[in-house]
Amino acid sequence: MSDTTVPNGDVHTLPTWRVILDMIRYRWKLWLLNLGAMLILIVFWQIPGFVMAEFFDLLSGDATTDWNVWTLVGFLAACELGRILGIFGLINTNVPFFMNTMTLLRKNMLTHILKRPGASALPDSPGEAISRFRGDVFEISLFALWINDILGMLVFGVVAVFAMVTIDARIALLSMIPFILVGIMANSATQRIERYRRASRKVSGIVTGFIGEFFGAIQAVKVATAEESVLQHFDEINDERRRLVIKDRLFHAILRSLFRNAANLGTGIVLILAGQSMSEGTFTVGDFSLFVFLLGGVSELTTFSGLLMARYKQIGVSVERMGRLMEGAPPEALTAFSPVYMDGNFPEVVYPDKQPGDHLEMLEAVGLTYHYPETANGIEDVDLQLKPGTLTVVTGRIGSGKTTLLRVLLGLLSKDSGEIRWNGKVVQSPADWFTPPRCAYTAQVPRLFSDPLRDNILMGLDKDNVAVLLAVRMAVMEYDLQEFEEGLETKVGPKGVKLSGGQIQRTAAARMFAREPELLVFDDLSSALDVETERTLWERIFERPDVTCLAVSHRRVALRRADHIIVLKDGRVEAQGGLDELLEACEEMQRLWHGDLGDTPAMPPSIAQSEKAET
Amino acid sequence: MNIPLKRYWDLLARHITPQKGPFALLALLLLSSIGLQVVTPQIMRRFIDAAQIGAEMRVLANAAIIFIGLAIFQQLLAIGASYFGENVAWTATNALRAELARHCVKLDMSFHNNTSPGELIERIDGDVGELSNFFSQLVLRVVGNLILLVGIVVALFLEDVRLGIAIAIFAAVALVALNKVRGLAVPHQKAFRESLAELFGFLEERLAGTEDIRSSGAVDFVLQGLYRLQYRVFTHWMRTSRKFLIVRTVGGGLMMVGNTLALVAGFYLFRADLITIGTAYLIVHYINLLGRPIRELTQQAESIQNVGAATERLAELRGIESKLHDGPGATLPDGPLDLHFDGVDFSYVEEEPVLQDITFKLEPGTVLGLLGRTGSGKTTLARLVFRLYDPKDGAVRLGGVDIRGPGLQHLRRRVALVTQDVQLFQATVRDNLTFFDRTVSDDRIQTVIEQLELSEWYASLTDDLDTRLETGGRGLSAGEAQLLAFTRVFLRDPGLVILDEASSRLDPATEQLIERAVGKLLQDRTAIIIAHHLGTVQRADDIMILKDGHTVEYGNRMALAADPDSRFAQLLRTGMEEVLV
Repeated sequence: MSDTTVPNGDVHTLPTWRVILDMIRYRWKLWLLNLGAMLILIVFWQIPGFVMAEFFDLLSGDATTDWNVWTLVGFLAACELGRILGIFGLINTNVPFFMNTMTLLRKNMLTHILKRPGASALPDSPGEAISRFRGDVFEISLFALWINDILGMLVFGVVAVFAMVTIDARIALLSMIPFILVGIMANSATQRIERYRRASRKVSGIVTGFIGEFFGAIQAVKVATAEESVLQHFDEINDERRRLVIKDRLFHAILRSLFRNAANLGTGIVLILAGQSMSEGTFTVGDFSLFVFLLGGVSELTTFSGLLMARYKQIGVSVERMGRLMEGAPPEALTAFSPVYMDGNFPEVVYPDKQPGDHLEMLEAVGLTYHYPETANGIEDVDLQLKPGTLTVVTGRIGSGKTTLLRVLLGLLSKDSGEIRWNGKVVQSPADWFTPPRCAYTAQVPRLFSDPLRDNILMGLDKDNVAVLLAVRMAVMEYDLQEFEEGLETKVGPKGVKLSGGQIQRTAAARMFAREPELLVFDDLSSALDVETERTLWERIFERPDVTCLAVSHRRVALRRADHIIVLKDGRVEAQGGLDELLEACEEMQRLWHGDLGDTPAMPPSIAQSEKAET
Repeated sequence: MNIPLKRYWDLLARHITPQKGPFALLALLLLSSIGLQVVTPQIMRRFIDAAQIGAEMRVLANAAIIFIGLAIFQQLLAIGASYFGENVAWTATNALRAELARHCVKLDMSFHNNTSPGELIERIDGDVGELSNFFSQLVLRVVGNLILLVGIVVALFLEDVRLGIAIAIFAAVALVALNKVRGLAVPHQKAFRESLAELFGFLEERLAGTEDIRSSGAVDFVLQGLYRLQYRVFTHWMRTSRKFLIVRTVGGGLMMVGNTLALVAGFYLFRADLITIGTAYLIVHYINLLGRPIRELTQQAESIQNVGAATERLAELRGIESKLHDGPGATLPDGPLDLHFDGVDFSYVEEEPVLQDITFKLEPGTVLGLLGRTGSGKTTLARLVFRLYDPKDGAVRLGGVDIRGPGLQHLRRRVALVTQDVQLFQATVRDNLTFFDRTVSDDRIQTVIEQLELSEWYASLTDDLDTRLETGGRGLSAGEAQLLAFTRVFLRDPGLVILDEASSRLDPATEQLIERAVGKLLQDRTAIIIAHHLGTVQRADDIMILKDGHTVEYGNRMALAADPDSRFAQLLRTGMEEVLV
């Protein structure tokens, strides 16, 4: 229950460079085209500097060519067209590169989260995880393209240094000194940059997480008239974020400024040194103009590359935050290549067919043990046997480990020890095995999604209306369906809020039935169903001949129907067997049965007697 | 499509007014830095002309040192501007975030039932983030660039009147052209941001439902959903970018015209011996400098387009009005409240009545047991008491007052609800119990915890009230969560309590524990207990049975139990095994 259950640090992630390299390799053609466009842009940005130098030399009579002013204007116009071409190329490669790589990263993270034990899939709230899916993914793709900017600037820098040295080596080299000094200074500041960035990203996650939770619980907030205090808390975390983000940004501004000043100092040095040469006529006004232009460009280059290390460290923070979502996966899983279908031809959703070995003959579990981190709660050494065509009910008081048992069996929590066997074969990965078409599960509080009812039931399963309606009927929901004006097309709203609690639960049950699994697992269906509906439900389930069920329940309607009952107490099996023998021999069962206020009415004595006679 | 300037102005004025001081300072810093940009080229000209005539080394060195000094000073101004700019921006956008959150909270449930929390994250945080640049610098930079433009034109006038006129015309044409293309991308940008909101709404919902996706074998289906939404983002982003290319091309073309002007004018004026070569340099430099405000204004036009799209979406969100209007402020009496439903009709969607002609009166301090199968309207009835919705017809009265009379806050403070779905925050136990209300004392919380016989659970907390709960209350059993929900209610002092199947998910032993607590809670309070189970309503004075939104039976519990023909008596007789309700 404490936040230390989320391990800090020690997450095995890929090195930052590897993630970026993988992104480039994933769409290397786009990346190279982008680089080409960048080079075109840079070249046509640099040439005008030389054209202008030629212009001043033309004025002062130092020109080495016989171009007139209109030729020069023509050159400038051509460069402008070249730049537009470059930008055109950039736009047409930037966006596809971004979308392909971002989709891949998001896909890999989502795939892994869906693979993890379902009950502990996220280290934080879904809203917080969104900040990783959004910002951190973007930063990575951005950096991969940023490398092209750097390469382009590098070309500019090489040309610039070569040109300046050719004109006057002494002035050229001395004017470069400030850049070198500033570069050294900036790189020593990278640690701080990383720290500030980490803090500012973390707090952003807290803010988005809170918005998500807040509006997820809006009815409770309204009913408790807690709007003001919750909003006040929102203000507080917003303010904290402002503080941290400004620190991050200010530090960046200072660094940037240092680089600009390097260019200014360089220009100052040119002014001092060139004055004499200009008087002597060895340094023309055109040369001067070219130096000022090129130094400005070199300053951009050093600003970029000086921030390179800092930027790289920041990406490291993003990689680590994404790695945290990928906990338990091999590090390479983050960047594993697979199609992302950005051509708009999406793949068919395929559900596997039943294989011969899937048919349930016997399910056994031996010595299942699981403890929640930091608490003594859990289950201890639980044995279990399910025969085909039977209903097994797990019962027990609150906190006795009923839900935990189901989750551990299905791999939604990973067991500490124990063994599970399907038809005698050991199930290595319960989480992968206990899925349709072998098994389906309805949680105590099932989740629906903002889709039409049909999509919530099918979730991509390729079945016709008849099959859906059959599943709906089996879930005792056909009556509700008639009430919905749009029938199966009814939009259920976020998390299914437009439906009642019982309707949500029965939709989830229908979702399960539509998959026609060998084994049906229910976690306390009764909580949102009235007795009569639940009874009908059980009847309809067992209309199908060879269906096998495992259910948590404390209702008599379920216990009476059960072929086998497992009574849990404090995480251990207290007793198991048929209802009659348990009622006779097991004290805990007697207590559960007779204390069952939920189903036994408190009533006038006469009626109570008649009920007793009936039992 | 152009966004009216007035809307920008309103947006700015409203959020800048509270921070006039820092904003004025920011303006000063930015404008000084712009002023320096006009001055620096003059030094360059002096230097070139002095060097051409072979001036003394000292004069040249002085010019160089002044140049360096001014440049460093300008950088300091830039750092200051960045700090104040960010501060102004974050203060303003945080205010906007708070305002939006407040607005959304006030909206009625029909809005929230159609909007996922993930979507609201994108709107409240994402869209507002777009505005951050607008507040920090954009407006001032646009103004600053305009001033720089004028300053340069004036400086050129001083050199040569004809040149000044030509440049003035050029600048005017450039600005008009820019303004023409300004709104091109706005609709695409808006669609782009909408597709992003949809994507993250989708992800948030799926991340919250991993267990269901997994156990339904629907991983591939969810991935396909991801591809679809990513592809939609792709399409809109591409369209937006292509429109931006048009804006950039126009800006680039303008620059070309400016450069032509500079070269041709510089050449002929110099040849005519009207200017020195230093002045020619100055002219070229100024016109290049003129390129900067033009280029930046182009970029800023893009930013304004972003802002335009974001403001439009925000205005849209802000324009959504709650269908529930706060009451004028009638006062509810203290103590237990009587509840009167008077011919209430209600439906969520037209033509689909959920409640029809519900009439009952509950005396102060008495308990109503509400029975009916799922979907019969029990939960809806409870929602009406809280004014989460208003009835279509008829009235609900509390303590003799129509509940549309008192303010919503006042009303909801006097009634309490325990639902089966307990919503928990990733926050401390204290904040979860008090809903972040800092005025509730720890003593009070502990008293209630003892009252509820939760001391054992409390002792197991590692950090007492400061223990943090995990997301969605993971690590808590359903029963513990339920007991926390009870604590919340106990911490308030409502005159009416509604227990909506509050004990349905509890095992019998724990339920008895809760029963005792409920007994304490109901002392001197009016209550409605909604349940599917007969046992839960044993403490009810009156019984009401709902079916398809109609009252099928209503009366005193003892009387109904004694009447052998009543449905309730039938229900008691046959127990849970018979279908009656």
